[in-house]
Amino acid sequence: MIEIKDVSLWYKNFKALDHISTTILKGQTVVLCGPSGSGKSSLLRCINGLEHFQEGEIFIDGVSVQDPKTDIYQLRSTIGMVFQHFELYPHMTVMENITLAPIRVRKKSKKEAEEKAMELLEWVGIPEQALKYPEELSGGQKQRVAIARALAMEPKLMLFDEPTSALDPEMIKDVLDVMMNLAKEGMTMVVVTHEMGFAKAVADEIIFMNEGRIIEKGPAQSFFDNPKNERTRQFLSRILWQIDSRVKVKGSWN
Amino acid sequence: MDLDVIIRNFEFIIGGLALTFQLALLTVVGGLFMGIVLAMARLSSRPWIYYPATLYIHFFRGLPLILVIFWLYFLFPVVIGRPMGAFSSAIISFIVFEAAYFAEIMRAGMQSVARGQALAAYSSGLTSYQTTYYVLLPQAFRNMVPSLINQTVIIFQDTSLAYVIGLREFLRRVNLVDAREVRSIELYLFAALVYFIICSTGSLISHRLEKKRVGRLFN
Repeated sequence: MIEIKDVSLWYKNFKALDHISTTILKGQTVVLCGPSGSGKSSLLRCINGLEHFQEGEIFIDGVSVQDPKTDIYQLRSTIGMVFQHFELYPHMTVMENITLAPIRVRKKSKKEAEEKAMELLEWVGIPEQALKYPEELSGGQKQRVAIARALAMEPKLMLFDEPTSALDPEMIKDVLDVMMNLAKEGMTMVVVTHEMGFAKAVADEIIFMNEGRIIEKGPAQSFFDNPKNERTRQFLSRILWQIDSRVKVKGSWN
Repeated sequence: MDLDVIIRNFEFIIGGLALTFQLALLTVVGGLFMGIVLAMARLSSRPWIYYPATLYIHFFRGLPLILVIFWLYFLFPVVIGRPMGAFSSAIISFIVFEAAYFAEIMRAGMQSVARGQALAAYSSGLTSYQTTYYVLLPQAFRNMVPSLINQTVIIFQDTSLAYVIGLREFLRRVNLVDAREVRSIELYLFAALVYFIICSTGSLISHRLEKKRVGRLFN
């Protein structure tokens, strides 16, 4: 599905990605984690061509992302992306946010796009918000709209860039529930997140990055139970402490 | 106080006001159009588009308007080989000058839209044209309307400078009546009142819009 081959990316003189290679299979959920500045978000943006990398290649179903012959707009329209700060269009209603790309890119009729949008809003649990503007929604609702907006294009792959980092703790579960359902339905997902509970529950593979390199990757179980790398262990001990405290308080999705 | 002087010359003076409005309106339309082009050029990543536009904007923002009016008035006949009417010359001077200001307002408006908005639009498969048209411009426009109205008010006042090349707009006509009737206090008070009413109405609209926009963002 996604084949990342020896990708390196520089911002001016700063090497943000350093020879990244990995393969993600169809239907898998892969969690990218690591300290901030480790290149997780950059890697995510390379996958749908929002970032131009200088070396290496990325293939999505055999199509090279940076090949000049590739129709990048068509490729992006099959890859959904969800952002840390939602990035809903503030001048459009929830409904308009969701139907913009289906109407303009997929050339769907307004009616068809709106029916699909309502279905998705119901699926993420907020059908009553359809005619509101983003500013009238809570953070958790905004992020669920953003997920619905991405799903409206019927993507074959979903990219999540720290989808819960900007949310209040009570809102996080709503968004993670939606993402878990999506993973269970067989969506291929790449998720940058520090929500290790989510990673434990649904990730097929966890990739740990540091300073632009993949330090460790493997199935969730072995990743948590016996991390091989010292840096990974350090990172986990810091982050799992947070999770333990949260689970004790909320006793939720673990 | 002899307010009768105004009534006696009312028609003549109001005729000047019509010319003032004409000058302002044409300047705003032309200035906006040229401003959009300049603003887009300023936002371009291609140096051969970016630098000439930047130079243009800095150049005209660094000159007094009255100099531009004089200068173009004397320059045009040399360039086109025949004299040019004062009206056309004034309009072109105003447009050329104000476009630089409009361009900066619009550039700032475009840059005020968060970068993430463009990323979100691109990630859904929209082209750069669609992204600009459906996502960036509407937001930028909402941010820049108050400043655009403000600039329009300034233009309305600036049109009085057209008198230097002989255009008999509102203020010039007041001035002419004064030369004949010697009623400076009354006449200029009247002129001030007219400018004040028109311009403060514009400012008020701009202020209202600004408040509304801020309200929408934070409620």
